[in-house]
Amino acid sequence: MSEQQALRLAGLSKTFPGTKALDSVAMDIRPGEVHALIGQNGSGKSTLIKILAGFYQPDSGAEGRVRGEPFPFGDAHAAHAAGLRFVHQDLGLVGSLDTVDNLALGFGYTTGFGQRIRWRHQERRARRAIEELGHSFDVRIPVEQLAISDQTAVAIARALQDWEADVSLLVLDEPTAAMPLPEIGRFLATVRRVVARGTSVLYVSHHLGEVFEIAARMTVLRDGTSFGTHDVAALTKKRVVELMTGEAADGAAQSRTDTALGERVVAIRGLTGRTLRHFDLDVRLGEIVGVAGISGSGRDELCDLVFGGRPRTGDVELAGTTLEPGRPDVAVARGIGLVPANRHRDGLIFPFSVRENLTLPDVSQFWHRLMFGTKAEVGETRRWIDQLRVKAPSTETPVESLSGGNQQKVVLGKWLRVKPKLLLLDEPTQGVDVAATAEIHSLIGAVADEGAAVVVCSSDEEELARLCSTVVVLRGGVVGAVLKGPDVTTPRITHESLGVDRDTTDSKLARDLIAPVSADGSITT
Amino acid sequence: MIRSAQHDERVGAPARRSHRARLWGLPLSLPDLRVDRLSGVYVGLVLVLAYSFTDPTFRTVSDLRVIVSSQAITAILALGLIVSLICGVFDISIAANMSLAITLVGWLQADGHLNTTLAVLLTLLTGAAVGVFNAIVITRLHVDAVIGTLGTSSVLAAIAYLIAKGNDIFAGLDKGFTRFGASAPLTIPVAVYFLAGIALLLWYVLEHTPTGRYFHAVGANEQATRLAGLPVVRLKWIGLIVSGTVASLAGVMLTMQLGAASFGAGLPYLLPAFAAAFLGSTQIRPGRFNVAGTLVAIYLLAVGVHGLQLQFPGNPWISDLFNGLALILAVALSRRSQRRRAVAGRI
Repeated sequence: MSEQQALRLAGLSKTFPGTKALDSVAMDIRPGEVHALIGQNGSGKSTLIKILAGFYQPDSGAEGRVRGEPFPFGDAHAAHAAGLRFVHQDLGLVGSLDTVDNLALGFGYTTGFGQRIRWRHQERRARRAIEELGHSFDVRIPVEQLAISDQTAVAIARALQDWEADVSLLVLDEPTAAMPLPEIGRFLATVRRVVARGTSVLYVSHHLGEVFEIAARMTVLRDGTSFGTHDVAALTKKRVVELMTGEAADGAAQSRTDTALGERVVAIRGLTGRTLRHFDLDVRLGEIVGVAGISGSGRDELCDLVFGGRPRTGDVELAGTTLEPGRPDVAVARGIGLVPANRHRDGLIFPFSVRENLTLPDVSQFWHRLMFGTKAEVGETRRWIDQLRVKAPSTETPVESLSGGNQQKVVLGKWLRVKPKLLLLDEPTQGVDVAATAEIHSLIGAVADEGAAVVVCSSDEEELARLCSTVVVLRGGVVGAVLKGPDVTTPRITHESLGVDRDTTDSKLARDLIAPVSADGSITT
Repeated sequence: MIRSAQHDERVGAPARRSHRARLWGLPLSLPDLRVDRLSGVYVGLVLVLAYSFTDPTFRTVSDLRVIVSSQAITAILALGLIVSLICGVFDISIAANMSLAITLVGWLQADGHLNTTLAVLLTLLTGAAVGVFNAIVITRLHVDAVIGTLGTSSVLAAIAYLIAKGNDIFAGLDKGFTRFGASAPLTIPVAVYFLAGIALLLWYVLEHTPTGRYFHAVGANEQATRLAGLPVVRLKWIGLIVSGTVASLAGVMLTMQLGAASFGAGLPYLLPAFAAAFLGSTQIRPGRFNVAGTLVAIYLLAVGVHGLQLQFPGNPWISDLFNGLALILAVALSRRSQRRRAVAGRI
């Protein structure tokens, strides 16, 4: 080996009780290269990054070298000392502080006599760090007022600022997830500047367009196994999707066939939120409609918008009457249930017992003659625990002590009890193990068969392919494709989410990637 | 997202530790003393026993009666407070509200020459209005509850001063009013009956009605409660109005008992009420503010203070010291049990 690799991994495995998140993964990153790491949700990308960051200890037998030196796993300080730096999706900046302060946090200020901060020196340094990355903006305004690509540059500058210490690898974890399309071109230019200094970049992204633009090579992960490192130039996007999903792009249909579709019960017209724009959708009773899309496509806010949990414009009509926006209580009263993506924050009252959570939306049903019919409530809870197969020692167990899958079943059961007309599910099986996922899927199918309209928003394409008869694919806040019947397959959904087959979209992206930037740093769209 | 399969087996909190033990090889079965829920009761009993042995002046029955009646008003205030605490809002203005009620109920009778019933009703209504004001500040203006009610406190103090010019009101109180306040049917002071009534009512509402369940839900996780379709804002309004009304009732009771509207007399009740509410949340139903726990806490604190004052007479600062430390300790205890539960249930 004539050249020392920036990073070399071999035999990297990570077993969590019950699952193998990574299975003897090997990869090497050359000095000064942008190396993409690609894979679906749950493929092991984030586990790999957490191992590099020293957050997880891999299984024994893993070998790692940074520039030829053995790399000690499971030690965040050692990772830092070896020259590994990380910029995560949420950039970790303090929004109300300016660039100078954000750079100084964790690194320290240069002080003069009497511990006085040498502001002018500090400011000059910050400006230089930013300029080195090809940006120029006022380093004294709060970073939250900067464009996302500039904020990302601040985060990168912070990660690299002790570059005298020789940063060997910068890991960018989904850096463009929250970035508006027109800014991506500037951001990629920033990445190129980093590489030009000789620092390697491990670029984790769902956006194949960017990856093809910036990366020299890519490693594909699927179900914890590496499906090889490839030269980007020798790949097509279609081939990448095949590697990611393990299915030929025109795989067999496996989707749900709705038994008997009832009348149209939901009509969404012109729904607009933060990302989502002018979204229309009809759902009929007995139908399961899936909504796919990478993060930042608007998929993650759709359920909340329909339910009224966050401000919206546009109309949501349920069984012929329009719903008041911003009123979840009205939505529930009219027969809508929401299983939110974040069950800890939005779905469950953690100190409450399984019983109290399950009966929360209509506990008054058990209140007769000025007292709770405790027996009836406990009995009903027990019935649902059995039906949902919740593993809980008793009805009085606090939900916080249940496992993720069982918690999710309680959230689902809470709404199944009240028999909603429309059930909205946001990432229904996130953080849920395989067995519970299958059970939750069959419950969702049963709800639709009993005559409810169901909308499933999910980043798990396989889940959508399994559950839904129709899948709406969102891209950049608008509908990119509507797949029906035999077209509802994992690879097709992935294709459409990434916008692979659309030459028009690709060329639009390419055009956006070189969007002109005016001198003051603002972006012309 | 890959890592949850592992935990399916260790579902649930650990079962309650068995109190069966073996003593010199013999099977000894102790009754379940529920130490986790009733620790305060036991500590209180131990204190009473210890004081009555070490201090001849601590005569259990009569002293207990003194303690019970002297704490009735603190207890009423604390019970009002827990209603807002359960909804997840800190109502610091309860003491200022109580002070205003004292001055107002005196002034309405002495200077306003209103009949007693009307004066009391108006005072209670004012207390409720303070609750409405707090609710607007917190839910409409989105001011943090602690800051908002701190501001309200200052405003209320100003209003009370405007009414009474900072003076106590002795003369002009209705004779029947003060006689009723000093009466003790069956040798038990009338305030204790009021306490019992309020405790029963709030216990019923908080534990045995849907509204009570919703209150607890709002306080534990406002966002999830909202997304369960419950009217979170309305619930907070009700909570604040109840705590405001009960606070003014505590003021009326104190005026009745003292036979005078002592200016600013509500303020010293603030800290004991908070101490009792938080200590109470570690008792009977650990992790939740609850009526029975609050009563246990009130009397535990009172026994502690009373005993110490008998031991070290002439040191009026003891009660402040004791209550302050008790508040810190109580919050520390409830945080610790929260953390424990979180760890036991970590996913």
